[in-house]
Amino acid sequence: MDPLSPWWLFLSFSGALKIASMEQEVAPSCPPLCHCEEDGIMLSVDCSELALSSVPDGLSPLTAYLDLSMNNISELMPGDFQHLRFLEELRLSGNLLSDIPGEAFSGLYNLKILMLQNNQLIQIPAEALRDLPNLQSLRLDANLISVVPDKSFEGLPSLRHLWLDDNALTEIPVKALNNLPALQAMTLALNQIWHIPDYAFENLTSLVVLHLHNNQIQSLGIHSFEGLHSLETLDLNYNELVEFPVAIRTLGRLQELGFHNNNIKAIPEKAFAGNPLLQIMTLTRAGIRLLPGEMCQQLPSLRILELSHNQIKELPSFHYCQRLEEIGLQHNCIYEIGADTFRQLTALRSIDLGWNYIQSIHSEAFVTLHSLTKLDLTDNQLMTLPLGGLSGLTHLKLKGNPALSESFSKESFPKMRVLEVPYAYQCCAYGACGNFFKVSSQWDSEDISPEDDDGHKRTLGLFPGHVDNHYDLDLDDFQLEREDSKLHPNIQCTPSPGPFKPCDHLFE
Amino acid sequence: MHRNMSQICPGGCATCSEYNGCMSCKPRLFFHLERRDMKQIGVCVSSCPPGHVGQRSRERNECIKCKADCEACFNKNFCMKCKNGFYLHHGKCLENCPDWLEPNNHTMECNEIVH
Repeated sequence: MDPLSPWWLFLSFSGALKIASMEQEVAPSCPPLCHCEEDGIMLSVDCSELALSSVPDGLSPLTAYLDLSMNNISELMPGDFQHLRFLEELRLSGNLLSDIPGEAFSGLYNLKILMLQNNQLIQIPAEALRDLPNLQSLRLDANLISVVPDKSFEGLPSLRHLWLDDNALTEIPVKALNNLPALQAMTLALNQIWHIPDYAFENLTSLVVLHLHNNQIQSLGIHSFEGLHSLETLDLNYNELVEFPVAIRTLGRLQELGFHNNNIKAIPEKAFAGNPLLQIMTLTRAGIRLLPGEMCQQLPSLRILELSHNQIKELPSFHYCQRLEEIGLQHNCIYEIGADTFRQLTALRSIDLGWNYIQSIHSEAFVTLHSLTKLDLTDNQLMTLPLGGLSGLTHLKLKGNPALSESFSKESFPKMRVLEVPYAYQCCAYGACGNFFKVSSQWDSEDISPEDDDGHKRTLGLFPGHVDNHYDLDLDDFQLEREDSKLHPNIQCTPSPGPFKPCDHLFE
Repeated sequence: MHRNMSQICPGGCATCSEYNGCMSCKPRLFFHLERRDMKQIGVCVSSCPPGHVGQRSRERNECIKCKADCEACFNKNFCMKCKNGFYLHHGKCLENCPDWLEPNNHTMECNEIVH
């Protein structure tokens, strides 16, 4: 009988009332020290952080939510929860469980969420998980699990979310994962897995998210990802891959791919032929020297491309990555930017080319980039900067280009807000050296220019240094939008001119 | 005043201070900044509060925010339970189900249409 069918609920409910009334004295509705809240006729019971060493007695049969986390429970007894027919969420995380008896969870037909993370389990308690037909989320992360019996998840037909990260797995539990038709998200991160065999996830046809970061994966089979028809996110960051994982070509719905911090060296031609929906790709610190020429022809949906901290010398044309919004190329070995490199990338907002060896940028390089607002060319070898296409910039970083001594006129960057230049005198190009623009290090309230009606101090971090910030709302943008509406745009320009860094160019 | 484990720190803390609460956590617990009135207090938890997810890495375990329309998520971009008024489908919260799916107002999910 389907545990959620009305008939079953009615029978269980009347059964529960019978149990409650059959006991000599009516069981206390709330165990001592615990905190109970009624939710309709159901009960939420919080017994967390009470230094309990066992499951308390006196739990009401109408308990739907039970939190026993962060206690000292080292052992569960068979049937501890047998009378809790309506239990939907059971939290046992942060205890001292090293094993779980087979009957511990019997009778929990309505259980949807089971949290066992942060315990000391050394293997999957397969017997205990045998009959939980409605379980959707199972947390087993942060244990000591090195053994996953083949039948571990047999009794979990509704399982959608599985956490096995931060354990001691040395291989993919292929057989155990063979019968999870409803699984949508799984993490095997932070283990010691070194290889992904062919057909490792063959029956996980509903899997959307797969995290494998922080393992020791050196090799994959060509067919490792066969069967993952629904996969959208694959995270192979912080592994030991020495070859590009061609197995990804079977992932037709892949949208986000990360294998930063590996040692791949080169991306083969046609590497992404099977991934037309790929939107976000993170290849930071992947040892990459060469990018395939036609890479973008296979990536029409790409929005964010992170290639920083590699050894790339030459850039292909990104022309066919028509939806590209952000590209991170900082800390590579790039020496020139051609006319074709970023041609017609009309959605491109941010280019980070800091810490390369760029000596020349073609005069047409930025002309078609109508959405470009952020350009970072810190620490290169520029002598001149072509201004065509840069009128929309709000952030420009040029520090560390000692040969770039030209001054910029205010008209070149009408929307500029944050400017970093090699020499202080280049900050003076925007009018009088004194009060017009406020430099962050010398601002104080009296000195704020009259137009500034709000007197609000602004110190903007220029570029989000950490790769994650590329996906969240950028704090700078948020502050910019807020500032636009209130303040007359002040330009924050560094290095700030001063007594020892005069406006006049001494060497003219 | 900065304290370490030996002094009295709340459960799960490795180091704490009187003013800020937990400053670092015992291994494998998640660090979370909890708002209490005008202050933010550090706490160490084995599972993150609603609207947050625990993100594990070699260096640090911390609670990060789910998307605004998500009550419980697996990672920042994959929701497991949407906030009121949204339907869940394959990790995404939708105001309405797409045409080829059927809204289930009991579970608040979009289901395959059974012909």
